[in-house]
Amino acid sequence: MSAAPAKTPRWLLLPAKLGTFIMLMAKQVGGLSILAGKVLRRLTPGQIDRHELFRNMNRMGVRSVPIIAATAAFTGGIMVIQAAPFVEQVQATSFIGWAATFTTIRELGPLLIGLIFNGRVGANNTAELGTMMVTDQIDALRALAIDPIAYLVVPRCLAMVSMMVLLCVIGDAVAIGGAMLTADMLLDIDPRVFWASAMERLEPWDFWVGLVKSGLFGIMIALTSCYYGLQTRGGAPGVGRSVNASVVAAAAGIFIMDYLSTFILD
Amino acid sequence: MSARSQDVGILEAAKNVLKDTRAVWRVFTKTIYFLFRGKREKGEIARQMFHVGNESLFFMCITMAFIGAIITFQTGLQSKKLLPDFSLMGATYLKLLVRDLAASVGALPLATRVGAGIAAEIGSMVVTDQVDALRMCAADPIDYLVVPRFVACVIMGTVILIIGGFVAYGSGMLVAVVSFDVNPHTFNNFMYLNLGDVAMGFLKCVVYGAAIAIVSAQRGLATFGGSEGVGWATTEAVVGSCFAIIVLNLIISTVGYFLVPGVGPL
Amino acid sequence: MLPPLIRLENIHKGFGTPILEGVDVDVPESCIYALIGMGAVGKSVLLKIVAGLIEPEQGKVFIHGEDITVMNHLELAEVRKKIGMLFQNYALFDKNVYENIAFPLRRLFDLSEEEIQERVAERLERVALPGTEERIPQSMSGGQKKRIGVARATIAKPPIVLYDEPTAGLDPVTSQKIYDLVREEQRATGATVMVISSDVAGVLTIADRVGMLHAGKLVFDGTADEAKTSTLPEVRQFVHGLLEGPL
Repeated sequence: MSAAPAKTPRWLLLPAKLGTFIMLMAKQVGGLSILAGKVLRRLTPGQIDRHELFRNMNRMGVRSVPIIAATAAFTGGIMVIQAAPFVEQVQATSFIGWAATFTTIRELGPLLIGLIFNGRVGANNTAELGTMMVTDQIDALRALAIDPIAYLVVPRCLAMVSMMVLLCVIGDAVAIGGAMLTADMLLDIDPRVFWASAMERLEPWDFWVGLVKSGLFGIMIALTSCYYGLQTRGGAPGVGRSVNASVVAAAAGIFIMDYLSTFILD
Repeated sequence: MSARSQDVGILEAAKNVLKDTRAVWRVFTKTIYFLFRGKREKGEIARQMFHVGNESLFFMCITMAFIGAIITFQTGLQSKKLLPDFSLMGATYLKLLVRDLAASVGALPLATRVGAGIAAEIGSMVVTDQVDALRMCAADPIDYLVVPRFVACVIMGTVILIIGGFVAYGSGMLVAVVSFDVNPHTFNNFMYLNLGDVAMGFLKCVVYGAAIAIVSAQRGLATFGGSEGVGWATTEAVVGSCFAIIVLNLIISTVGYFLVPGVGPL
Repeated sequence: MLPPLIRLENIHKGFGTPILEGVDVDVPESCIYALIGMGAVGKSVLLKIVAGLIEPEQGKVFIHGEDITVMNHLELAEVRKKIGMLFQNYALFDKNVYENIAFPLRRLFDLSEEEIQERVAERLERVALPGTEERIPQSMSGGQKKRIGVARATIAKPPIVLYDEPTAGLDPVTSQKIYDLVREEQRATGATVMVISSDVAGVLTIADRVGMLHAGKLVFDGTADEAKTSTLPEVRQFVHGLLEGPL
């Protein structure tokens, strides 16, 4: 048993906590950057395992379509309902198409899709890599002269980023559809009027912003989930802890990315 | 892994959603039953409330600060293009925040943090047979585990979401002042806010808190398959909670649109 | 003759592949019934079915004459109050030893703190772990955790006690101590006991009746003496630990 550590004086407790927190954050950011570097270096087409890539793209993207589509449809509807009182008050029904879809495509869509993707695919990815870590499968790969980063991490990262963008496209389409439907059913607005007002005011740039954001979120989720997965220690409970940490860290990262990209992209 | 990665067609997926909803509903009814007829463990609810508040406050404040900034920035940019009059910016923002956004957008990171935690805790207990042991020691798992977390999430969740709302309002005001030269007094405008908005917002906070607790607890209790199973349960808890929040949002918003006046005096 | 306290009729259960295919077990009152068999043959599943933790696909389970397979969760909770269970992996809670053992008492009865302390102390004496109330189970050995589990399972003096592998992974001396503990407890309270064990020699020293599971069925059901002298090939091979035979 080691001797009890010296007690921190009371007035230093808060700064000490803050300091520990900052160090922890720095460590995560550093770790993520290092992983990012490793992934980038292995991005040459020859090195990527095509089979793994497509398998992951299918698993992560195609299987997520139903829930993303449902989410997008509901979100489109909600935006219409929220915008409705304003539009009524200002008597600007021609605005509703734009008002409801603009925020969804630029902002809420990528954000929600990002959060759900993170909760679903990101967490699952961490769990898989984490389980492989604690069952020594990663070491086994190395022993077989297979680079775990190239074989496991790179395909997953590519799959996650590409699928996020794809899901965003699908989500945008479905959200507009859901909004149109809600506007028709609830506010008796002709879908054609809705479409016209939306197209009139929406610029291609709005769509691009949404897609770029989802790509950035995808990068965030990919790096974070792989990082925490590979950092897993401590058997079964360790995997649970990693998953928890990865979901939360990626969510925080998404919000930060969102904030930064909002200012940069405009 | 393989059993969970089965390819599901749309019909299968719909059936799964229905099965899920029934399972969640069953947990909900049992929770309410034991809330009134169960055996309370001394101080457990307080402990859970502290746990929820402690683990989510910092995360939520950061998240909501970003969200507030992002939303105001986006709306400001668009206002610039349409009608460059920022005098009503604060008023509309406040109304939207109180009526919907603080709860609905805030509940998502809250679900990520708190929901994952609940599912992981309960899930670990399931895979180590502790939940079965509870049953054999005359403690119904829902009575002993779920009810305290349910109460904690509803009460503390509402508190955290409200605090988050304040933070988002503050950061929104900051962005309006700094980026769009809006006078803080002009921003601070209660003109659009009415009692209906406050009621709706509050109702949403309570309902989302309940949804997060029940969905995450159900996923935790349904864990199977060792440590990997706990990872899955965490994932599905976050996704399920987020999805439930979005669906409930649509339902409450629709009802609110028809029943609770969006325009009117405070 | 009294009707059996625990009666399993035609139990079928599978998890993808069938595990139990038509098992009938009768456990008379105040009997120590040993359930033996090769690994993964379904012994734990059967025990959990008795405890009402797993629902059989087919068949009925009678406890004190009542069919628990048709009960709702509230009625089932009432029946479980009469059953104490020791789990294979201890399943101790994230609390100290005292709170773990006191847990059933707190849930079942309204006792004063002094009474609870007395009874926990008495249990700890019985399982040869006196004075360990403040310790945390994680810091204790497997044998000690098993004994805490036994204490928790028996503190409410339930009329039925189920032991799932009480001696798995323990050295021979500790194993025998636990078996003796199981028998002493049963003689003292007259409870009806079911014990699962892979340690055949050990469990046969305390069992009144023995049942052997193999290939989804109960291939043997009789007294301990009959088990030792049985000529059934599966039973012979298992009881005497032989390498050759149908297993």
